[in-house]
Amino acid sequence: MAEAPAKGDGAPPGSSATAGGSGGIAFFLALLRARPAYALGYVIVATVVVLAVLAPWVAPYNPVQASPVDFLKPPGWPHVMGTDATGMDIFSRVIYAPRIDLAIALAGTLISAVVGSALGAAAGYYEAQRGIGTFAAGFVMRAADVLQAFPVFVFAIAVVAVLGQSLQSVVIAVAFVNTPIYLRLMRGQVLSIRRMRYVEAAYIAGVSDFGIIRRHVIPNAMAPVLAQLSVNIGWAILLTAALSFIGAGVEAPTPEWGSMIAMGFQSIITGHWWPSIFPGLALAVTVFGFALIGSSVEVLADPARRRALAGELEARRRARLATA
Amino acid sequence: MQLLAYLGRRLLFVAPQLVGILLVSFFLLKLIPGDPAVMMLGPFATDDGLARLRAELGLDRSLLEQFLIYLGNVLQGDLGTSWQTTLPVTTDLAQRFPATLELVTLALLLALAIGVPLGVAGARYKKGLLRTTADYYGLFAGALPDFWFGLVLIFLFYTTWALVPAPLGRLDFVILPPPEITGSLLIDSTLAGNWQALRNAAGHLVLPVLTLGLINAGPILKMTQSTMERMLESDFSRYAEMCGLPERVVARKALRNALPSVVTIVSVLYGFLIGGAVLVEIVFSWGGAGQYAVGGVLNADLNPVMGFVLYSAILSLVIYLIVDLIYFAIDPRTR
Amino acid sequence: MSDPRLPFLDRRSFFRTTSAIAGAAVMPRILSIPSAHAQAGSTMVIAAPATPQSLDCNFDVSLGTFEAIGALYDGLLGFEKIPDPGVPSASREDISFHADLPGGVNMVGKLAESWELDPSGTRVVFKLREGVMSNWGNELTAEDVRWTWNRAFELGALGAFYTAVSGLKSPDDVRVEDKYVVSFNTAEPNPLLLKIQTNLYTPVYDSTKCKEVGGTDDPWARKFIENDSAGFGPYRLQQLTRGQQAVFAAREDYWGGKPAIDTVVFREVPTSAARVQLLQGGAVDIAQYLQPLEIISLQNVPNVVVETVPASFMIWIELNAKTPPFDNVDVRRAMNFAFPQQQVLDAVYQGLATPLNGCMPNIYPGFSDEFFEYSYDPAKAKELLAGAGFGDGFTTSLAYNAGDPVQEPIAIIYQTALREVGVELELKKIPAGSFYNAVTERGQPMIFYVDSPWCPDPGYSLTLYFDSASYVNYSNYENAEVDRLIAETAATADEAARLDMMKEAQGIIMSEAPWTFIAYPNYTMARKAELEGFTYYTSNNIRFQDFHRA
Repeated sequence: MAEAPAKGDGAPPGSSATAGGSGGIAFFLALLRARPAYALGYVIVATVVVLAVLAPWVAPYNPVQASPVDFLKPPGWPHVMGTDATGMDIFSRVIYAPRIDLAIALAGTLISAVVGSALGAAAGYYEAQRGIGTFAAGFVMRAADVLQAFPVFVFAIAVVAVLGQSLQSVVIAVAFVNTPIYLRLMRGQVLSIRRMRYVEAAYIAGVSDFGIIRRHVIPNAMAPVLAQLSVNIGWAILLTAALSFIGAGVEAPTPEWGSMIAMGFQSIITGHWWPSIFPGLALAVTVFGFALIGSSVEVLADPARRRALAGELEARRRARLATA
Repeated sequence: MQLLAYLGRRLLFVAPQLVGILLVSFFLLKLIPGDPAVMMLGPFATDDGLARLRAELGLDRSLLEQFLIYLGNVLQGDLGTSWQTTLPVTTDLAQRFPATLELVTLALLLALAIGVPLGVAGARYKKGLLRTTADYYGLFAGALPDFWFGLVLIFLFYTTWALVPAPLGRLDFVILPPPEITGSLLIDSTLAGNWQALRNAAGHLVLPVLTLGLINAGPILKMTQSTMERMLESDFSRYAEMCGLPERVVARKALRNALPSVVTIVSVLYGFLIGGAVLVEIVFSWGGAGQYAVGGVLNADLNPVMGFVLYSAILSLVIYLIVDLIYFAIDPRTR
Repeated sequence: MSDPRLPFLDRRSFFRTTSAIAGAAVMPRILSIPSAHAQAGSTMVIAAPATPQSLDCNFDVSLGTFEAIGALYDGLLGFEKIPDPGVPSASREDISFHADLPGGVNMVGKLAESWELDPSGTRVVFKLREGVMSNWGNELTAEDVRWTWNRAFELGALGAFYTAVSGLKSPDDVRVEDKYVVSFNTAEPNPLLLKIQTNLYTPVYDSTKCKEVGGTDDPWARKFIENDSAGFGPYRLQQLTRGQQAVFAAREDYWGGKPAIDTVVFREVPTSAARVQLLQGGAVDIAQYLQPLEIISLQNVPNVVVETVPASFMIWIELNAKTPPFDNVDVRRAMNFAFPQQQVLDAVYQGLATPLNGCMPNIYPGFSDEFFEYSYDPAKAKELLAGAGFGDGFTTSLAYNAGDPVQEPIAIIYQTALREVGVELELKKIPAGSFYNAVTERGQPMIFYVDSPWCPDPGYSLTLYFDSASYVNYSNYENAEVDRLIAETAATADEAARLDMMKEAQGIIMSEAPWTFIAYPNYTMARKAELEGFTYYTSNNIRFQDFHRA
């Protein structure tokens, strides 16, 4: 989790490692016990991931095997979620889908986090200096402004349209759209850390720019980035599905929630609800799981909330001991 | 005076930013494969005819030249023509933007009506049903794919229970729309006293507004709740409490102080939804601006997309300006 | 003329037509529809995927344009109408071969009162009706016909195709013989001289009006004809708001008598589900171009009648003969043996199509079904592949049109079936907007195509798709013997001999399988019960003048 390794000169403030006394796994488990909803989040995501990994063994049917004699069968046996217009088994497709959706969302978010944070760190660090650095930092920020002024969705579709329809394009589109978020976040962090005395000291001591960024700035700015990351993945899954829904995502018949919803979309008016309702439900539950995890990480990454929580846990423990 | 100076400074930054937005979108869109000339002339186009049309459209010039010509036209208020609708983009957008705005505005009002009270309640009570609802509503609403949620609502309220008109646009085909004044069907039909149209338009609005409103209440709720919590824990609230002011009064004061962040999140959502409502527009065949832009991207129809990007950028700027003005009104520190 | 219905269905209306991004579903500003609920006797409201783009048939082949041309213009000739053998309430053209009639065709005069085909097959003389008025009040003369064909020559574009297939070499080949007599003259015997005059896209213009409005800047009145009409058809254009609606008004002074329906409102309703709803709710009289499941769902709706008739549409997959491994005939044949045709017809078309068992429309004279051997047989496919050196299969890709809802399911079913014979198929969805580009570039190993040759003639049909020099031969098929037969057929006036040659050509083509043969989709008319008179034309459009209320 968000254990900021606070080695180096001076005591960097904002490090969460010091909060609350107890740390690590034990604290995490205690948190899950205290907030069962967070545990539910981890359970949902773990289930989805495990099902996706084991899909070849768990799924009753091949997810891309059309069976035209069984088209549009309502939920029942042996097709628990029914079949779609080409007779593919919806249940099998639903559990295969996260292989694509999660992979795209993770890859896109990670890329944007790495690229955005790096650019943001550089921009924040150099902004305070004179010369070409300031100019470049300003340019990066203005570019981010422009990027963010775009309507997100139209921009993502345009990126996919330019790059051609493929998995990689969707990853790049997701990454592009998210990069400015990390850029701003990191820059803000760096700007505040940059002013800290221990950083100034390192600067005066002649540590190189790169060294300072690497050893002091980035480790201390990581916690909020991590928190943002876990919140962002859920959102990236939604964006991936949305792109596929509109036809700018992965190629059919790849099992993917968004494109499954799209394939069943037309028939909902004629009463064939199952091809689009089940994948949407799976999508919503998964994103909900990620949202729960995200808020648990937010708590862990925020020293104040972490401290409060640790206090609460401690009080509970005492109360339990007292009753025992 | 202070305000005017501020606005002036803002506008100074706006112009280069708009040009930047146009520049990026222009070059990005130009990278999309697809030749509008081929699409316009169709299967029996001769090479000669294609060349002539490309020249007519200015497609034979360098990209930079094309951009400068485009920019020049924009300055004169000419956003070009969509080859798909054969109409000027300004005409098309004038027709579609109000559709989107009406939808988004109503959805955000609904979101506010749900999000703010629930957020306040969530912040005031540490336990209980309201608190739990508030805690999970935001997370769950944020997890719902809006396009799918819309489908679920259609399936329930239209297909199964037949409570709403067919989810196909803003007005039934047979209803005569009111004369256009504001572009909002609700307002226009009221002005015209056309109650049939009013009822029908309202019926069509129910599901898409519910879809977007319920989902976007999430972030508003979260923001209200967290800011309220901070305000309630802050010194001034503690002080007020100690002075023996009733809890309601303390909460009201805290809410007043939390309002700027609520306004901020609403403005951000507004800007986002102008383009972000596109999926819901598709699901309900709304014919809004986002739909128009996405159709443009996919059909090498550049002008509608550029026009849309420009309109929504300007609209976002206007919204942010209005937000700043609201700040002036509700936050004494800015005065 | 081939009828690129789908490419254009898409071109205009990627998402409009089908599912997603219904571009212009904005309803406001509908100009007042004369008594919205269309029961008022003489108004007919049609829900269509798209309003006409250009009204100039020299340049535009979009869906709405077909319907508009059929209402605004008349040609010289038409086929005689007969009742549809399968659907008694519908009529269709008598396009069969009549050995006893001139040119072997059963025709009626439209703008022409009588005609005389020279036995040499190089000349036909038309005597025009006298006193026929255009919608601008100008009388039809031979000069109008000459001017029309001259325009086709001068503007190139679509008209050039018609001049070419009719064997006309220069504008002078169309001669004014008298005020009401005009002749067409060719150097070689041309079998299509008469049939081409029945074509939807060879209407006659009112040249007086065109010259008047065009002046010297626009001698062929392109601007005018794009947005208005100057013809001798049963309707005139009252209003055209693209993306919303076109309104047509019946002409009192139409030479054939005023049509029964006074006003036709042609509304753009981009999503097919919406068109179904409108017809069900009684808001429109006709809902065009519906999906198979929707058509089925309409069959039990009271007051709605669905007439579904065999049509000239064909859907197939081009197997690009210039892209390995499809340069190998056995591989192409194997692709057909591996295609579960009947399953596709059942699951995707719900029985509203018949198997494509030939390489031209099965309703046309000269069609032969005896060469189709490709019933679903994966074992046979494997054997052929092994023989061709692809025992381990291969990987290729199939491009399909995102704007045509039947293509994706067909592609998925085909993909599954091919896996069984070791062929890995990647699916490539192409936005409708650029689909036509993808077809004409001929760069895809496999790509869907939907088309219909408008002229009910085997020579015409086979030329389009299998002549190695044809623009529409998107599968790059080339066979010297087929080319020779096609060339000879085009220069032979003896109809029986032509049919023999075309049968031989079909045998060669079918055995070489340049396509994956899918289906003949039906034409479906979904209408209110009281609206009678539907007639099916090989141009796959409806003509408003055929309809009347019971």
